[in-house]
Amino acid sequence: MCGIAGIARRHSTGPSSVETLGRMAAAIRHRGPDGYGFYVGQRVGFAHVRLSIVDIAAGSQPMTNEDGQIVITYNGEIYNHPELRHELEALGHVFRTRCDTEVLVHGYEQWGVNLLQRLNGQFAFAIYDRNNETVFIARDRFGVRPLFYAQPRDAFYFGSEIKAILASGEVDAGIDPRGMDEVFTFWAARAPRTPFAGIASLEPGTYGIWKDGALWLRRYYELDYPEANAEPDDVIERLDELMLRSVGMRLRADVPVGAYLSGGLDSSITASLAASASPHILRSFSITFDDPRFDESDFQREVASDVGSIHAITAIGPNSIADSFPDVLWHTETPLLRTAAVPMYHLAKLTRDSGIKVVLTGEGADELFLGYDLFKEVQVREFCLRRPGSAWRERLLDRLYPDLMTQSRGGEFWRRFFLDAGPQRDPLFSHLPRFLLGARIKDFYAPEFRAGIGGINVMAELRASLPARFFGWSSLNKAAYLEMTTLLASYLLSSQGDRMSMAHGIEGRFPFLDHRLYEFASSLPTGSKLRGLKEKEVLRRWAARILPARIKARTKQPYRAPDAPSFFGPASPKWIGDHLSGDAIRRVGIFSASAVEGLVRRCQAGRVTGYRENQAVIGILSTQLWHHHFIEKAINVAPLPPQGASVVLDDSMSVLT
Amino acid sequence: MQTTQTEIISRVRSFIQENFLYMHSDFQLADDDRLLEKGVMDSMSIVEMISFIENEFGVQAMEDEISEANFGSLTGIARYIGDKRGVLAS
Repeated sequence: MCGIAGIARRHSTGPSSVETLGRMAAAIRHRGPDGYGFYVGQRVGFAHVRLSIVDIAAGSQPMTNEDGQIVITYNGEIYNHPELRHELEALGHVFRTRCDTEVLVHGYEQWGVNLLQRLNGQFAFAIYDRNNETVFIARDRFGVRPLFYAQPRDAFYFGSEIKAILASGEVDAGIDPRGMDEVFTFWAARAPRTPFAGIASLEPGTYGIWKDGALWLRRYYELDYPEANAEPDDVIERLDELMLRSVGMRLRADVPVGAYLSGGLDSSITASLAASASPHILRSFSITFDDPRFDESDFQREVASDVGSIHAITAIGPNSIADSFPDVLWHTETPLLRTAAVPMYHLAKLTRDSGIKVVLTGEGADELFLGYDLFKEVQVREFCLRRPGSAWRERLLDRLYPDLMTQSRGGEFWRRFFLDAGPQRDPLFSHLPRFLLGARIKDFYAPEFRAGIGGINVMAELRASLPARFFGWSSLNKAAYLEMTTLLASYLLSSQGDRMSMAHGIEGRFPFLDHRLYEFASSLPTGSKLRGLKEKEVLRRWAARILPARIKARTKQPYRAPDAPSFFGPASPKWIGDHLSGDAIRRVGIFSASAVEGLVRRCQAGRVTGYRENQAVIGILSTQLWHHHFIEKAINVAPLPPQGASVVLDDSMSVLT
Repeated sequence: MQTTQTEIISRVRSFIQENFLYMHSDFQLADDDRLLEKGVMDSMSIVEMISFIENEFGVQAMEDEISEANFGSLTGIARYIGDKRGVLAS
C-alpha cells in the first residue's frame, strides 16, 4: 500500500516543480515509508510514496511503459494480477517486473478504461497518457483506497489524502458547510463531498478522465440487489469457494500477512482461513479495553488459540483516547462523531511495531450478510408499525437493545424514538433513527454557520440521489445499500480503516469486500442472511466448518470505544480546554460558544450520559482540532528531496536519479 | 407543605432549561410540549430527569410508571408527581 499525489496543468508552464511534488509526498510519507519517487513532466507531475509489499526490489514508482508514453502512480493491490499478467503476455506484452503496477500499465495499454472491469482489488491510481494528454484516475469498487482531487484555475491536483493536495501550497483550505452538515448527519460527508470547500472525493467504483482543464467522471461499478426467491441448493459450497479464493488472493504478498482479531465472527473467519492458508505462522492483533463494557479479550484469546496464531494486544486505558485524539484527527481529515477510530490507530501501531505490514480484517461482512443491529431494527420497526400500539411487538425492541430498553429506565422513550422516527414510505426509513440522532449535534450550531448552510437538506439530497432500481428492492436490501453508500467507504473504510492503518504504514485487506462475494451475497434471499433476529445466518452455517462453536454462535457485539468521559478527567490534556474555550469556539465559528459552554459544564460535572451530548462532545472537539490542523494554518512540511528518491523520471524517459 | 402543580412545573422547567436547553436559550417550552418529540431531550436525558424528580420531590418512580404519559411533558410530570404524592400522603 502506498500514497499517491500529482498535479496536471492545462498549459505547459515548464517542468513541474519537484519541490512542490516533494511537499505533497512528504505530507503522506506515513503511507509509504519504504521509498518514494517522482515523475516531472512538462504539464503533469506525479509523486509516490511506497510501502513495499510485492516485488520489493523492482516496484518503484512512478512507473512507465516501454516508451514512456504511459506513466502511473498507484496505491493498492490488484489481487488477480498474476492472472492478468498471463493474459497480457499472451497478447504480446513484455514485463520487466513482477509488480501489479506494471499489470495496470500494460492493461491500460491493452484495454483502456475497460481495464477496470477486469480488476479484483483495492486501488486508487492516476495514469498519465502522453499520447492524448489525459490523466485517467480510478478508485476501486467499494472505496477501500481513497482518492481526493481539486480543480482550481484549470489545474488538477490529486492525492491519497487531502493533506497532500493542501501541501502543494496551490490549493486553498476552506470549510464546506454542506460537507460539514453531512458529517453531522451521516457521520461522514458523502463522496464526492468532503468537509473541505473545493476538494472532492472520487466516488467508489468511479473513474475520471481529465483533459484540457475538464474532468469527466463515469461510474464503472453499480451496487445491485437482484434478490433470488430461494436460496441455491449449493449455497454453502459456493460460499466456501468464494471465501477460500478471496482470502487466498489476499494472502498474496512478498511479506508475511497478519490478521486483526476482534473476537467476533467476521475477523475470526478471516483469521482462521489465513492461518490455514498462510505459509507463515499467523500473527494476530487485537484491541483490549480496561473498561469491561467494551472489552472482548476472552473471545480474542479463544480464537487466537484455536487458529494457533502468535497473538499481540494493545490495551486502551483511561487516557489513550484523549492523548491520541489530535493525531487521529490529523489522519482522518474529517470531524468525527465517535472515538472508535482511536483504538484502530493504536492497533495499527502495535502491528507495525511487531514488524507486520499487511493485515486481513473482517470489514464488509456486516454489510454483505446483514450483521448490524440496524437491519434487525428495520425488521422490528416494520413489524411494530404493521400493528401500532401492540405492546408485545414493541417489546421486541427490548430484545434488540437490552442495554437501552431495560437497563437505562428509559425504555418506553427509546421505543417511541425508534417507532416514531419516520414513515415506512420514506426511502431512508431504515436509517432515520441513526440520522436523526446524529443530527442532534446541529442543536449546537452557531446561528451564522447554520445560515451558511442555507436551505440545503442533506437527507433530501440523499433521497434524490437514489437510483431508480433502489425502489424495487426489499426494505433490508435498501438498508444494506444505504449502509454501503453512506457509511462503509466514507467512514468505516476511511476514518476507522485506511487512515488509521496507513498512519502507521499498515495495509488492510478485506476478504469480504471481494466483488464476487458481494455479488453472491446480494443475490441471496435476505432471509438467508437475517433470519428472524439471527444475523449473518448463512455465514454462520458455513463457518461451523472452521470456527469453535462458541464463536460461531456469538451474537454481534457492536464495536465501540469510550467517548465523552475520556476527555474530562483529572488527567485531561490541556488542549481540550484550549480548543473548547469561548474564544476558540468563536474563532472557528461552527458552534455556538454559549451552547458549548453549557456542554462543557455538564461534562465537567460528569452529567453527560446521553447519545446526543456524547456525540456533541466528540463532534465539537474533533471539529475544533480539524480546523486547527487544516484551516487555521498551512500544511508545513519539508519536501522530500529528489536526491533521496528511488526514481525521478521526466518526459525524456531519463531516470534522473 | 403542599406543592402546587404550577410550582412543580416551574421547578422541572428550570431543571430542563439548565440541563437540556442550554444550547437553545430562546426556546420557549410549553407545558404540553412533548419533550422527546420536540427534541428537548433524549431518552438518557429523561432518565436523568427522573432522578432529579425523585430527589427533588421525594417520589420513587416504578419501572412500569416510566412512560410517555407520566414523563413525556411538563403537564404529565406535574400530574404524575401530584398523584404520587397524594398516594404517599394517604
